[in-house]
Amino acid sequence: MTHMLDKIVTLWPEVALLVGACVCLAVGLSPRAGTRLLCAWVAGLSLVAAGGLLAFGVGQADQGLAAAAGTGMTGFVKAAIVGVGLLLLLVAASVPSELERDAPGGLVDGDGKFDPGSVMRGEFFAFFLFSLAGAMLCAGANDLVWLFLALELTSLPTYVLVATSRDRADAQESAVKYFFLGAMAAAVFLYGFTLIYGSTGLTNFDAIRAYVAAFADSGEPLAPLLRTGLILAILGVSFKIAAVPMHFYAADVYQGAATPVTAMLAFVPKTAGFVSLILLLSLVQPAGAEATRAVTWLLCLMAALTMTVGNVLGLLQHNVKRVLAYSSIAHSGYILVGLVGFTEAGSTALGNGTAAVLFYLVAYGLATVGAFAVLGCIGSRGDEAQTYDDLAGLGRRHPVLGAAMLISVLSLLGLPPMIGFIGKIYLFGSAIDRGYTLLVIIAVLNSAVSAVYYLRIAAACYFRDPAAETVSLAVPWRRAGAVLAAISALVLGVAGGRLVDAAHVATAGQAQAVAHVSSVAP
Amino acid sequence: MHHAVLSHFLLTGAVLFVLGLIGFLSRRNLIVMFLCTEMMFQGVVVTLGAFSRFHANDTGQTFVIFVLTIAAAEAALALGLVVLLFRRRGTLDVQAWGRLRG
Repeated sequence: MTHMLDKIVTLWPEVALLVGACVCLAVGLSPRAGTRLLCAWVAGLSLVAAGGLLAFGVGQADQGLAAAAGTGMTGFVKAAIVGVGLLLLLVAASVPSELERDAPGGLVDGDGKFDPGSVMRGEFFAFFLFSLAGAMLCAGANDLVWLFLALELTSLPTYVLVATSRDRADAQESAVKYFFLGAMAAAVFLYGFTLIYGSTGLTNFDAIRAYVAAFADSGEPLAPLLRTGLILAILGVSFKIAAVPMHFYAADVYQGAATPVTAMLAFVPKTAGFVSLILLLSLVQPAGAEATRAVTWLLCLMAALTMTVGNVLGLLQHNVKRVLAYSSIAHSGYILVGLVGFTEAGSTALGNGTAAVLFYLVAYGLATVGAFAVLGCIGSRGDEAQTYDDLAGLGRRHPVLGAAMLISVLSLLGLPPMIGFIGKIYLFGSAIDRGYTLLVIIAVLNSAVSAVYYLRIAAACYFRDPAAETVSLAVPWRRAGAVLAAISALVLGVAGGRLVDAAHVATAGQAQAVAHVSSVAP
Repeated sequence: MHHAVLSHFLLTGAVLFVLGLIGFLSRRNLIVMFLCTEMMFQGVVVTLGAFSRFHANDTGQTFVIFVLTIAAAEAALALGLVVLLFRRRGTLDVQAWGRLRG
């Protein structure tokens, strides 16, 4: 029982988000339009509260306890989710207003005719917070049941967000597609979890690590059931990160959803997916490199295919939302490079693949959110801007937005002053350090290919005449979000040392925890 | 063959799971596709129950309860989404879509 209580103490930030979500649901039902508008502030306040609790809680945590519980990584990931979550809230805050402007009677003050079913402001922010809380719970998972529930809590609200974000058939089609494939992927990784449980009889991560370590000491290879379970779990979770066997939904869904919601899809489920992958791989880490060769090969294959498919298909697109969707797929491939060779705990700062993955998630998140946010600030022919033509002349008409887009795409490309550069150095350096040179060569070639479409976006913004039919939308918060994301990408790129250190310290705790389990295992 | 052993239950679970997967990939009606994902979940549930009995601990059965809860939540969501789409489209055939192509 005390074990459970210890665990709950670490969950205050998530509790803050869940409370905020419930308040949003209640406030969103108010018949007074002015009260309903408070939802965004409630959501922002609960995110700030979660951030405060996190800063306070992490400062309070006993270092040894934190290392033993593997909370180093948890704290880093939670802080990243809260930080980028605040940016996403800025970007997405005006989505319900854009819908209600079209819906008749949506924003009219209630005089007995108010229909709660006609507004979705409360639900929008509540589901947004639920999804963020789910991703944070993933980071704190120490049990297969917990991880499954957290992954579902991350995904289920996103299906609703996609369906209701735009009053168009596209959005609903893409939501249904996303939901059905998501349910299928959930069944696949759940079957994987089941086989892991079946092989060990355990669902607690520490217990499974100890079990695997005991077998590794006896010199036996990984049980086939455990290996199959792990592979199925990896394949199922690859849906969340849009990696190769489960990537094909990404372009359609990202295109169908409203642009601010797309920005969220590109960061929150992906972070949850990568954190789950790190946790799942840590289960078999004590078995050593030899016993987990099949898993390593699978990861190598997935990484190489994902980035190649993402970049090649990205070249063929004319729709910028689809281009950024394929860029998001390609980035999953790059990040997977950091996970291969997970058995060798990095000794040097450069050799620590897990830390590189965590750092790159932040780098990728800032740049992608920035790019989608700029795209969300402009409209074309009564719809959202989607094509290269819609971006034409952006740099001349809106120098700030143009600069934000330029910084974002250059960071995604990985050019030096931006955070993406440090991220890629760190990610590929860790893989070279562990001897996966061929994979890194593929990744670098892919980065070069991706320059074509990133620079095409930048060129459209700066070297083409402004298109007559594009208008800039009156969304001050979203512009602020775009600018903030770009500034963060630039500032953290110039002074990213501290963040790199934080990522390294965060995963050192994880590595220690694994080493600790290995040493106490009989 | 007189007593049901672990492998029988595992086989049942695996068959349910694979049938669901095949159905999901081959059917074109949204409701049937959703039923197929439910069948995959039920395959998982049978497997979990069998392992729980085999390992003589309750963890697997606890897991089953959570899986059923999530499956119920997904069913509610699926019906909502399918109704939303049917009102707009008037068909449940996935091949009638295709507005979203590159």
